[in-house]
Amino acid sequence: MSQLILFLIVAALLFASLFLLVRRAPQGQGEGEALAEARQALNTLQFGLLPPELVGRIFAKADLDYVTSVGSKQIRRAYCRDRKRIALLWIGEVRRKVVSLRQFHLGAARSFAHINLRTEMRLARDFAALLLVCRFVQVLIYVGGPYAAPQMIGFTMRIAGRVCEISEKSLAFLSPAYGTGAPRRSGTAAP
Amino acid sequence: MTSYPRRLDVLQAVQDLRDRTLAGMPRPLDRLIYLASTRDYNTGLYYHDGLGSRFTSEVACEALASCHFDVFRQLVLCPLEDLVAQLEAYVGSTHANPGEVIATWRKLEPYRVAVPLETDPLSVEFLHSSFRIALAILEARWKSLPSESPASPRPSRAQ
Repeated sequence: MSQLILFLIVAALLFASLFLLVRRAPQGQGEGEALAEARQALNTLQFGLLPPELVGRIFAKADLDYVTSVGSKQIRRAYCRDRKRIALLWIGEVRRKVVSLRQFHLGAARSFAHINLRTEMRLARDFAALLLVCRFVQVLIYVGGPYAAPQMIGFTMRIAGRVCEISEKSLAFLSPAYGTGAPRRSGTAAP
Repeated sequence: MTSYPRRLDVLQAVQDLRDRTLAGMPRPLDRLIYLASTRDYNTGLYYHDGLGSRFTSEVACEALASCHFDVFRQLVLCPLEDLVAQLEAYVGSTHANPGEVIATWRKLEPYRVAVPLETDPLSVEFLHSSFRIALAILEARWKSLPSESPASPRPSRAQ
């Protein structure tokens, strides 16, 4: 009888281990897609949307001053309308990519990246703050134009930078330079 | 390991292109227009006979694409005032009626086909917007010139 109980306990333990293994195992194509999407979102953020020199140009007050000094009121209006549209496009894209990265951290990242609890908490706080700030900036630009919230733009970039840094570490295993200590590209994207 | 020497070839071809062909073009705008003109609109591939014979056509294609991207980036990041100055100098270098060149550029928007393929839509949209504003400024400037100036005749058509 005791042998049967022992046998049942061992069988239950084995079954539980198997169940946990199946749950933790990467789910093939679905997770592959999530990883690729996250990598793409991160690349777009780092090299397409957040380079300070590009953001600096989109929100450059010097351009407005120049247009005011040389152009008519009509040109100035057209300029402000165009820059507002581009600023809204920028913040909308940043928000979309951040949502995509958050999806990755909520799902597939658990299978691949080993993030400690403290970092996860910080990341959750940053994601929440970033999405809130993006909405706020969207409203400010919509109401007041592209030059309405210069400090908020800087704040958005700082939090987005932190989120990208943690996401970069989570996705580092996808990089060919992973573990070799090779320098990473920075600044502009390669063609 | 096989891609390493190829990458070196591309870097050498880029240097060659900068030293020989692009060195004669002082403005990024001129370089952008030239590099875009070396691209086949159907395939998106770049061709350059001289560079292709010195290296290979694949290496030449990559070198041209790389320079095209760099120049595009340079223009995206240049202040609006610089872009207006470059555009004004470019219009002057065409030896055509400046008013007509400006009107044609505003109508046809040729800068739309001058951007590299692998670029983010935001940068593309930003550069297009800068071109539109720069052209509007130049047009206003041109229209404010006295019409009897013999060196720069007023536009004959501004539809």
